[in-house]
Amino acid sequence: MTATLRHLLAATLATAVLTLAGCANVAKISTGEVVVDNRLSFTLDAAWNQVNIPGRNKPVLWTQDGITVDALELWFGIKDGQALVDTPKDKRPLVFKATMAPHELVGLFEGIYGLDGSTFTLDKLAPATFLGGPGVRFDYSVLRKTDDVRITGVGWAAVKDGELVAMTFVAPRLGFFPRHVAKAERAAATARLR
Amino acid sequence: MSLSRRRALAWGCVHCAGAAGLASAVPIPPDWQLPPRLTRPEIDGDEGGLWALVDREETRTRRSAFVLRDPALREYLTGIACKLGGAHCADTRVYTVRTPYFNASMAPNGMMQVWTGLLLRADNEAQLAAVMGHEIGHYLQRHSLARLRDARSRSAVMGVLAFAGGVGLVGQLALLAGMAAYSREHESEADQIGLLLMRRAGYDTLAAAQVWTNLRDELKAGAGGDPAKRSVMFATHPGADERERDLQTLAGAGGGFAGDAEYAARIDPLMPDLIDDELRRAQFDESIVLFTRLAQRRPTRGDLRYARGEAHRLRAQPEDAAQAQAEFTAALALERPPPQAQRALGLLHRAQGRRAEARPHLQAYLQLAPNAADAALIQSFLDEPLP
Repeated sequence: MTATLRHLLAATLATAVLTLAGCANVAKISTGEVVVDNRLSFTLDAAWNQVNIPGRNKPVLWTQDGITVDALELWFGIKDGQALVDTPKDKRPLVFKATMAPHELVGLFEGIYGLDGSTFTLDKLAPATFLGGPGVRFDYSVLRKTDDVRITGVGWAAVKDGELVAMTFVAPRLGFFPRHVAKAERAAATARLR
Repeated sequence: MSLSRRRALAWGCVHCAGAAGLASAVPIPPDWQLPPRLTRPEIDGDEGGLWALVDREETRTRRSAFVLRDPALREYLTGIACKLGGAHCADTRVYTVRTPYFNASMAPNGMMQVWTGLLLRADNEAQLAAVMGHEIGHYLQRHSLARLRDARSRSAVMGVLAFAGGVGLVGQLALLAGMAAYSREHESEADQIGLLLMRRAGYDTLAAAQVWTNLRDELKAGAGGDPAKRSVMFATHPGADERERDLQTLAGAGGGFAGDAEYAARIDPLMPDLIDDELRRAQFDESIVLFTRLAQRRPTRGDLRYARGEAHRLRAQPEDAAQAQAEFTAALALERPPPQAQRALGLLHRAQGRRAEARPHLQAYLQLAPNAADAALIQSFLDEPLP
């Protein structure tokens, strides 16, 4: 069987499963103090929508205009040796190691985009304060394979007590990213581990 | 267009050819003649519909930001397609698509796509011609139309059975197995035609088996193991070993044009991007096999030794640090070491706690690439006090 056919059938099956499961549900995240999974807290000055997809726990997914447009992903609770995402059996898993240096953490996110053939370009990587301590901020661009859309992203990452904590915000370069990135930046500035 | 729809339009994917076996295919005679140029079918038939679909896909491809806008490269690749396809050259349009996987395809309307991962992996023009000849074989035999008709008829049958009830998993498996067998015949036919076209164009026919062997060695090192053993269906059909043997038998004594220098002249300017994209796949076991082979073929190239070392460094297994350090050191003594080799060696020393040894390499990197995306982070490492 060709991989093309396998992908097609897998996509069809995934769609059917989501449909049967009642698809995703959305919950409003109001402004003010917010605690996610009793672990990650924020003081938000803008409301977000949390999208819960059945069968998918990580990352926690927030959006302003819908996940097909923009997505703020919250990664936490990832311990040494754990993979960030499920990868096909013929792909090397993207595993976090607590000893990773900042640029290696960014490499994990590069790897996620690379899984479907999207191109990732690192635009800037610099030290930054995150979770109230040392971390990195990375600005990047992605040419998304699925729809040929250029998206812009910004991320923050730090290793705290051996655990990976990261946030990424992505949206199409034109319009949506400039409209919402400041909200993501302000959320990141208030992020704290509990 | 949805992902699944676009994937369905990946006509005649070479990488996916899997373990086609020539033994079960109808032999193509040595005096096989190219069919006449294909004419645009009437729009109201299934073939006309298929062409309309791929015409739309070509419009999208033409505009895609993934397509390399490199007239010289396009002319070179079109030239290879024309040497192979003869009169069909007039109907062939080649697009180079930036995707770091081994693949090429040719749609029924003459649109050929060559992925950059294939350009990185081919050793010479003859190997690339082997893959392109295979795809032209699919095109000349109009395999995608036959595949469409087969898929449609099977879907119709399955629809009837499903309506009657009781099909379920067994029915799905039967559908898949039928398609797998069907595809293998076409892959075998395309292999034979591809070799014939290579021979007539004067290429070294041994390149066809070699490109397949190289790919298999690479994939074997990856997380999925030997591609010939990944699937129950592949295991019950003629395997990759048989395909390699048959290609070698059909190739005969080989000989002919390999085109090492011509190929290198066209592809080398792309090499920094090809290396970066390959490393970003994060499939380091496969990349190490690939870059080891490329570095052995071209031992004076510092960029290939850097790439091999970087794959080791990023894989970060216990034995990788020493291997990476050796590769970076070697790269810096060779031709064309990229600035990233200094960066990588500096980061490696730093990760091993040798900050004093890291400094000159990180400083050299910033001198060579002051506007690098990670310059601020590297500078912050240099600003750290030495222990």
